[in-house]
Amino acid sequence: MRHFWLELRKNKVLFLMILPTLLFFAVFAYFPMVGVYYAFTSYSFEGGLFGSEFIGLKNFEFLFESGVLWNLTKNTILYNLAFIFIGNILQLICAIFLSELPGKWFKKTTQSVMFLPFFVSFVLVGAFVFNLFSVNNGVVNTMLEQLGLPPYDFYLHTAPWKYIIVFFQVWKGLGYGTVIYLAAIMSISDEYHEAAKIDGANIFQRVRYIVLPMLVPTFILLILLALGGILKGQFDLFYQIIGNNGMLFESTDIIDTYVYRSLAVNFDIGMGTAAGLYQSVFGFILVVTVNAIIRKTREDYALF
Amino acid sequence: MYNKRTKVSYFLTALLLLAVFLSACTNKANEGSNPKGEASPSSGNAGGPSGKPDTSKKVELVWYLLGDPHPDTEKVVAEWNKMLEKELNTTVKLNFTSWNDWQTKYNLLLTSGEKIDMIFASTWADYYKFASQGAFMPLDELLPVYAPETWSKVPKQDWVEATVKGKIYAVPATYPEYTPDGLVYREDWRKELGLPEITDLDSLEAYLDGVKKAKPDVTPINGKAWNEAYTLFKAYHGYEQIGGDSGVVVARSYDTPRDIIAYPFTDEFEAWVKRMKTWADKGFWTSDSLSSQKEAGDAIRTGNGAVYWRNAPGAGGFIVGLKETNPEIEMGYFPFTRFHHYAMPTLSVNNAMAIPKSAANPERSLMVLDKLRNDPKHYDLMTYGIEGTHYSIAEDGKSIVPPASAKNNKDWKKYDIASWGWRIESNSREKQASGWEGFDKLLEEFKSISKPNIFAPVLLDYKPVKSQQAAVNQVFQQYGQPLMMGLVPDVDKALEVFRKQLKAAGVDDIVEYVKTEANKHFDEKGIN
Amino acid sequence: MKIKTEKSTVAFNAIGYTIITLLTLACLLPFLLIVSGSFTAETEIIAEGFKLIPDQISLDAYKAVFSNPAQIVNAYKVTIGLTVVGTLAGLFLTSMAGYVLSRKHFKYRNGLSFFIYFTTLFSGGLIPWYILIVKYLGWKDSYLALLIPSMIGAWNIILMKNFMKSIPDSITESAKIDGAGDFTIYWKLVLPLSTPGLATIGLFLALSYWNDWFLANLFITSENKYPLQFLLYRILASAAVLKTNVAGNLSPDFKPPAETLKMATAVVVTGPIVFLYPFVQRYFVKGLTIGAVKG
Repeated sequence: MRHFWLELRKNKVLFLMILPTLLFFAVFAYFPMVGVYYAFTSYSFEGGLFGSEFIGLKNFEFLFESGVLWNLTKNTILYNLAFIFIGNILQLICAIFLSELPGKWFKKTTQSVMFLPFFVSFVLVGAFVFNLFSVNNGVVNTMLEQLGLPPYDFYLHTAPWKYIIVFFQVWKGLGYGTVIYLAAIMSISDEYHEAAKIDGANIFQRVRYIVLPMLVPTFILLILLALGGILKGQFDLFYQIIGNNGMLFESTDIIDTYVYRSLAVNFDIGMGTAAGLYQSVFGFILVVTVNAIIRKTREDYALF
Repeated sequence: MYNKRTKVSYFLTALLLLAVFLSACTNKANEGSNPKGEASPSSGNAGGPSGKPDTSKKVELVWYLLGDPHPDTEKVVAEWNKMLEKELNTTVKLNFTSWNDWQTKYNLLLTSGEKIDMIFASTWADYYKFASQGAFMPLDELLPVYAPETWSKVPKQDWVEATVKGKIYAVPATYPEYTPDGLVYREDWRKELGLPEITDLDSLEAYLDGVKKAKPDVTPINGKAWNEAYTLFKAYHGYEQIGGDSGVVVARSYDTPRDIIAYPFTDEFEAWVKRMKTWADKGFWTSDSLSSQKEAGDAIRTGNGAVYWRNAPGAGGFIVGLKETNPEIEMGYFPFTRFHHYAMPTLSVNNAMAIPKSAANPERSLMVLDKLRNDPKHYDLMTYGIEGTHYSIAEDGKSIVPPASAKNNKDWKKYDIASWGWRIESNSREKQASGWEGFDKLLEEFKSISKPNIFAPVLLDYKPVKSQQAAVNQVFQQYGQPLMMGLVPDVDKALEVFRKQLKAAGVDDIVEYVKTEANKHFDEKGIN
Repeated sequence: MKIKTEKSTVAFNAIGYTIITLLTLACLLPFLLIVSGSFTAETEIIAEGFKLIPDQISLDAYKAVFSNPAQIVNAYKVTIGLTVVGTLAGLFLTSMAGYVLSRKHFKYRNGLSFFIYFTTLFSGGLIPWYILIVKYLGWKDSYLALLIPSMIGAWNIILMKNFMKSIPDSITESAKIDGAGDFTIYWKLVLPLSTPGLATIGLFLALSYWNDWFLANLFITSENKYPLQFLLYRILASAAVLKTNVAGNLSPDFKPPAETLKMATAVVVTGPIVFLYPFVQRYFVKGLTIGAVKG
């Protein structure tokens, strides 16, 4: 404890500067965390949060009982890995090109356009996907017809939907993520570039040996940040594109959609919280582990 | 080791901060509620010497309705408050949940214990569940004192339907309705193609088939067809769900309420899904129907659809609306009550007003509701808006028409809020089913075959079997719906999978649970 | 200096232009469909789906959106006010926190980073949070409920910390030796050097305020406090509810707003990015930062 007070006195200003933020999280994040306790109770209005009956792990049963949990967990992780890696790599590529290409007007316009999908709500994405792939009048099937090909019944086959979902997720986040990498590139000192140019490095070499290494910390950071949510999933994306179509669940069901369906008729706050807790604990263990590994190899890349 | 200690000390500080903050907050919250506490239930209970409740203290109530306000709601409520202030020394702040995500919000309002003096309640907003879990205040003792007129005027049976575990938790609207499911369909096409009148499942099938064959551009049920298929399924077999939505667990028929089964295991179900497979293959609906967000009714409007699921008043609304936009289309209606020749009136608590447990002024709130329901001046204002601005009384002295000022005003919008909770038939100035001329005859038909609704009031909260219930609901969506829509390639195999999954999810436990609870309820009410 | 561009640069540019153009088209096409959809007649959309060029142009959806112009104007005002105040305040707090956590001599930076990051993993759910804001803070129907909860985000702080980490220690150390305090270093040195990071986080903050309807949905009951997105969502939501079982209770005189409304609202909301984004882009100019200070 003495260490702490010493440190506090030494860095008074720094503490003061971060104090509002710490208070904010204490109030808006840590205080409501008492709600985690809902996961272990059978809720009643008379009892409220702490007066309701404690039932141990019973609220978790619906996840384990049906035997689908492993499959759901796997699906969710695979989808999120695809989102994270494909998304980040594409954003990285875009940022590099946007920073290195000549043509101010071209860059500004394309960058703005890439941001447009961010504003398209998933409701609209859902309507849009249906219009593309529906059997009657669907854009894709109309095109197939015009090419003299037989129509394809997208909604009776599960195979294409993985790709459709990943595509739209990446599509929606492209502009947003690119900005982060772009800002990181902008903070790279010009000196490196100049020095490399004098050494006769061509643009590919400069990207390979200067830009990419400088972006690695950002890349790792973003991956780490995303890993914590690996079991939480983009509910709106899946729900708006797949909806209640049981035909397609086999390859498109994630934990969030499964829980939503299970509790849609009779919502239960205990079971809902239990599912969320499972997702959080899983993500927590994953992040702490990965972070520890990174800390061992390259300390300054670690998240905490 | 050292690292760990810093982390621990760090968390200690955080906890300290939290504790300081919390104590500050709770103090504030306590201070805030104290003055209100004086005016709350116990002390306000006593009537004055004349036996009239004491209204000497000015009170502002908070009321919540579903949906959204009309642009003029603020003006209307201001008018109302003038009246209330004079008569009851009270004003009401009328809030709306808006339709946006209203279930979540409704749940939050009740769970968080926010100070609300009255809120809309309904069977379709989980009235029974909330009431049995203690979200509402019991009204038995308050009603005779603070809402005497309502207490005496509401029919006995309506109070019974609002009773949960022996207590009344809501004031039901007094507006008897029949809302059986049915299908609206293009009657003009039926005539044009010389198809038989729709009276049963076979003639319905013949109609769908005839339309599909004669009009290749039309998908008879075009859009999401699940509601059509599912309500038809239940009504055709006469299955009755128990205590609201009981999923695959049903009473086999109205006459055998204690014969409770999980229908996917019956032979009828097998025959049905095979038949639905032929319907889907014939193209009565599209293969993407389960993902479609399109309403089949919209397709009727554009000429690509023929059939749409509606309850009887809803059918009236749809048909009347269509007459305005597409006068060339003639529609018919087939109510599913004709399969088994009985109709059940909706429960009184289909629309009601309840007082949350957290209310500060339940007595005053009931007094206001009593006025609102029974004083036509209050009722008209809050239901139809301001006379002369939003409506005028028609020549018959009863019904309402748009006011003269509306004729030249393009922006005029009929006053309309979700006033269902205090609706009273005798005060109503509008006809049911938006004045669809076919409705009166239909209503006669329903009344003549009316049987009391014995299933909805069975109280089920599924607590002992909630994980099974969740799993079964999930299985139903994943395997049941595609099967019942005839979309699976191999019916026999899909049926086997569905049944197996249901068993694994614990459907038998639910059947057992529902049986026990229902029998208990039936014993109590003397139903066999 | 060579004027002639190298072969490798030509190849790089060719690849770059191709990829960027393709991705841009993929982002643009759906949006064009949405724009044209918003101008299409309702019946056409229902019968035939989206089309790039509608047979019949209709302004009905926009008429519905702007049916109450005073309300829309007011909602714009609310949203702009919240966005400006929230972004500035949020940016100040976020950058201070990011700065503190990026100081290598600050012993608790890892512990504090963890304290902040932890909140993205665990949450107590909606209900306790709602109770906190409504019952303990008393922010029901208050602008504070729209402003404060989204002001500070864990991700933003961590990103900010990451941006500031790339500022060379030599700069701050020399200032320290000159006797500058921590706040002065932050305000006079670090902030000017972090413009790309500030622009990015500022953009994210502005977007989250601009797009928020969730908070308003939960906490705002007075119509004159509705922000833009919530107003628009409300119009859409009432259309959606009219198509459910609840509809049986609704007066049929109430005409559900059109399908095309969904698209029109998307267009109305997206408009401002066209103005905001180029402004932000000004800060994405290479070499602006370090060079400027040194020179």
